[in-house]
Amino acid sequence: MKGLISLDVISGIIHTMIGLATPFLYAAIGETFAQSSGVVNLGVDGIMLLSAFAAFYVSLVSGSLALGLLAAAVVGLLMGLLMSLVSVTLKAEQGVSGIGLYMFGLGMSSLLFKVLIGTVKTIDGFKPLPIPFLSDIPVVGKMLFRTNILVYCAFLLVPLAWWVLNKTTLGLKIKAVGQAPAAADSLGISVNGIRYLSVCIGSVLAGIAGASLSISLLNLFQDNLTAGQGFIAVALVYFGGWSPVGVLGGALLFSIVNSFQLWMQVLGAKIPSNIAVMLPYLLTIVALTISVNRARQPAALNKPFERGES
Amino acid sequence: MRLRRAFIAFLLAVGLVGAAVAAPFRIAVVMPSATTDMAFSQSMWSALMIIQKEMGGPSALEIKYTDNMYNVPDAAAAIRDYASQGFDIVIAHGSQYGSSVQEIATDFPQTTFAWGTDVNTFGLPNVYAYTAAAEQGGFVNGVLAAKLTKSRKIGVTGPVEVGDAKTYIDGFVQGVMSVNKGITVSKTWTGSFSDVALMTAAAKTHIANGADVLTGSSQSVVGSIGAAQDNGHVMWFGTQADQASLAPNLVVCSQVYDWTGMLREIIAQHKAGVLGGKTYVLTLENKGLKMAFNPSYRLPGFAKAAAERAIKGIVDGSIKVQP
Amino acid sequence: MSANARSDGAARTGRVEMRNIVKCFPGVRANSQVCFDIDPGEVHALLGENGAGKSTLMRQLYGMYQPDEGEILIDGRRLVFRSPADAIRAGIGMIHQHFMLVPTLTVAQNVALGQPSARAPLVDIKGVTERIETLAQEYGLKVDPRAYVWQLSVGEQQRVEILKALYRGAGLIILDEPTAVLTPQEVKDLFETLRRMVAEGHSLIFISHKLYEVMAISDRVTVLRDGKVIGTKLTREVTRDELVKMMVGREVKEVEARPLTPGPVRLRIRGLSAMGDRGTEALKDIDLDIRSGEIVGLAGVSGNGQRELAECLAGMRRPLAGTISAGGRDIGAASLNERVDAGMAYIPEERMRDGAIREFSVQENVFLHDRTKAPFARGIFLNFAKMRSHAAALVRDFSVKTASLDTPIKNLSGGNIQKLIMARELSRKPMVLVAAQPTRGVDIGATDYIHQRLLEQRESGTAILLVSEDLDEIRALSDRIAVMYEGRIIGIVERGEASVEQIGLMMAGVAMSDAMKG
Ligand SMILES: Nc1ncnc2c1ncn2[C@@H]1O[C@H](COP(=O)(O)OP(=O)(O)O)[C@@H](O)[C@H]1O
Ligand SMILES: [Mg+2]
Repeated sequence: MKGLISLDVISGIIHTMIGLATPFLYAAIGETFAQSSGVVNLGVDGIMLLSAFAAFYVSLVSGSLALGLLAAAVVGLLMGLLMSLVSVTLKAEQGVSGIGLYMFGLGMSSLLFKVLIGTVKTIDGFKPLPIPFLSDIPVVGKMLFRTNILVYCAFLLVPLAWWVLNKTTLGLKIKAVGQAPAAADSLGISVNGIRYLSVCIGSVLAGIAGASLSISLLNLFQDNLTAGQGFIAVALVYFGGWSPVGVLGGALLFSIVNSFQLWMQVLGAKIPSNIAVMLPYLLTIVALTISVNRARQPAALNKPFERGES
Repeated sequence: MRLRRAFIAFLLAVGLVGAAVAAPFRIAVVMPSATTDMAFSQSMWSALMIIQKEMGGPSALEIKYTDNMYNVPDAAAAIRDYASQGFDIVIAHGSQYGSSVQEIATDFPQTTFAWGTDVNTFGLPNVYAYTAAAEQGGFVNGVLAAKLTKSRKIGVTGPVEVGDAKTYIDGFVQGVMSVNKGITVSKTWTGSFSDVALMTAAAKTHIANGADVLTGSSQSVVGSIGAAQDNGHVMWFGTQADQASLAPNLVVCSQVYDWTGMLREIIAQHKAGVLGGKTYVLTLENKGLKMAFNPSYRLPGFAKAAAERAIKGIVDGSIKVQP
Repeated sequence: MSANARSDGAARTGRVEMRNIVKCFPGVRANSQVCFDIDPGEVHALLGENGAGKSTLMRQLYGMYQPDEGEILIDGRRLVFRSPADAIRAGIGMIHQHFMLVPTLTVAQNVALGQPSARAPLVDIKGVTERIETLAQEYGLKVDPRAYVWQLSVGEQQRVEILKALYRGAGLIILDEPTAVLTPQEVKDLFETLRRMVAEGHSLIFISHKLYEVMAISDRVTVLRDGKVIGTKLTREVTRDELVKMMVGREVKEVEARPLTPGPVRLRIRGLSAMGDRGTEALKDIDLDIRSGEIVGLAGVSGNGQRELAECLAGMRRPLAGTISAGGRDIGAASLNERVDAGMAYIPEERMRDGAIREFSVQENVFLHDRTKAPFARGIFLNFAKMRSHAAALVRDFSVKTASLDTPIKNLSGGNIQKLIMARELSRKPMVLVAAQPTRGVDIGATDYIHQRLLEQRESGTAILLVSEDLDEIRALSDRIAVMYEGRIIGIVERGEASVEQIGLMMAGVAMSDAMKG
């Protein structure tokens, strides 16, 4: 209709995109750590759910969002330890243990929600925190610098994760353990130790992804709040070629297509709605098929480590 | 003689009570979402709870439920289980369960099946169908919305364009247009019943585009609440259940599905030996549909008056709403 | 006992002693009551057939396995190594038979991996790079610290492994079959480096099959057989033949090809070109004939098209142009099965990748090609009794050492896997045999055996293309030697016509006419 591509619309699309991308960023960057060390954690969605619940419930009861966030991180950590125990120490098939973890998170969050809260409630989540000066820039300020702390942190996480993975001794160890665990082991690096650490980093971030939904973006909890976002996050890691910057690209692409189709619907563009909502998924599949660079895949992905096998 | 009669009556009464204690009436319900969804499933669940209280508690009416049955084969298994456990009435509360009901009902001719929202009883003597004339409350909400909007932009959100979500919205648009044809109503469909993040984004998009009134199928309310947190000047119109408690400062009015009347009748019929064969439609006229104004929303008198005129017109037939 | 990578001057490790080491794996006693010691500054060679238990012994010294019994002492002090970290701290380094490198990281990152950093938590790439350059200078280990490991040749990768050990300040360095994968020139360079290391005071444990290498580099030699020490000798006091006898348990004489008059041409290649894995032209216009009863050796520095040529013949790589005919039949575009029917047999270079299926049993691996053929199959049914007796016969005839026919092949030693693949391929009585690196990583006993089999095959009239990086092997077996350089056959010489040096020059790209002048 009139002025489909006005400045306001573009800024609206980008603003919507940033919100949508936030949980994906936490979850997918976290998963990047786990996968870089050689562990596919398919339980991300389950961690997000239980952590989203924990963050919501603790914030509701205590009135403190910080405590809620902490609860989400703790739940993430505990579920990460569980995942590590099963897939690293006990060497269970990673795909299966991840799905198990997902089912646990889904069922447990639903049960606790019924028992402890019972009905849909809302809370005051993290409030927008305009950044001085930056938020006053015309258009851009409104678009980027008037959102809340968890959203800013999600985007700051990208360079931080890049730095950790590429510049620090820890990152070197994580990548070595994922690419050539026997080599890492032969240098006295504890392969399982690094995998525990990476899975737990990933799970804590998945926990924060859950919290970003329940106490920052949506400010409520209900059954299956994530609706599979954790699985999309896992796909984004492949899409992003196991690099935080690639993951950022994927998350932004997926979110902007979603945000774009919503805006087109609102503006009354004549696209059938079922085609519009399929667009992001379609695009993800296409992009995945085109972009996935297997050469960058951690060679030991999905393989438990046993010393002496060559 | 009189004494004897009184004695027999007493025995009968004791016997009846005893029988009631020993064998309560039994209803089972299978639902696609949670009993606490503030929408479709909850509307049926609340009605059952009210009926149970009326009849004298769990000892008189035993209720079993299975919720979150979005997977139809799982739901079918649950429906069959309940039927084979000898429940008097099995309610399949979802339009997606139709073919399962049709199949199972023939195997359990002594059991009453009720399902909705739909109108089809499949010609089976033990199946009731039920639906709601959602367009009626939609029209009333539309009138109210048209009276209250300042930006003359209204956003509609929902998961998919089917069933009573669609008829509600069609009625809503007719209501808006009956007041002012210059108001823009734009619609977004997210394609998912459970993706709250996307629903929120959809609501936010409407708001960012200038809408000050939002409505949509009931699942979307949660998304709109999330969106309204950032922007307090938005109104929400609900449907299916009274959503005022979710967001007291946001919800203006909800169309409420009240299944109690229908349930009372089905139970009475079952006791009288009639197991099905009829379709119930909730309407404003038969009080199966109610407009619940949010008491904590300060609704201007002129708007309320217009809404009440619309209700009256629909009930007396002077206003025709196309489903 | 220095783990300080920055201390200048060579690190020294004291006298290391392994006493009465016993190590068992399910079904195998890999080491029984092994005693082994090494003095500071000494080169001690560890010799033994494949599966003798050499790697197992050394992995215990390096903390990767813990001994079931026995103890490890350094300067008389008993130490327990729970992981390689402990061994590294005690000044021990190990260059593994299969390199332990992370291909996606750079040389410097590989070297720095797991070491404390001066700029923690950051990796001190600059510092590491400088240190690598110093060490490389000092020990003659030429390698670019900024290159990714996947870009490096095998020889370069080995240098990185040595640098890793030196960077960690290892005084004692274990080299597990370091020459198995090197070209003659690379072996020479390696020995140069090893000598410098000894001069700097390092002690070395050198594992090899190649006796002349052991004789050239070591001070003492210990021979292991079936997990037991057969003896420890001063190198200057033993002869090559004595060592062979200790290793194999019997005398092994050098193979010699009887003069034969070759028959008609069996394999004819004309104008063959093909792409390599990296998308560049790896084979350029190859012409070659091989006659019945003739072995043609294909020599060359690895990566000059030998592998691609073998793969084209085996049907694992599509030629761009040219023809291949076997026994007059054009097989250029034939499927694997059609090639087998045409009498082609192939012993692949990557025997675990292309020649066998790791998880399958010995018997199943024997029948990878012949599953659907009589007499082993009737219709869709397999005749297991026939299959079993055939497999048993092959295992016996080729003296493959295996616990049973049902043992997964991955549990066999390299030499035994190779013998089994040979047995399978030769049992079909092929007209043309392509043998790619048939003895790489295979011990003396098995090598000798494989050589004899190849010669027998030659005498029975098979046309054989022998691809090998071992010039001695090529010279001992081949009737003619074709030298490859950058995808072309740069020259073909008759048996005895050219010296090692002349062939070496051609391998380096010197035209045949010039090389033969020298
Ligand atoms: N991790 C292991 N698990 C089981 N058996 C093993 C393992 N490593 C080695 N072996 C067995 O131990 C024996 C000695 O092997 P190894 O030390 O590799 O011999 P070498 O290095 O002398 O060729 C062989 O029979 C081998 O199959
Ligand atoms: Mg070995």
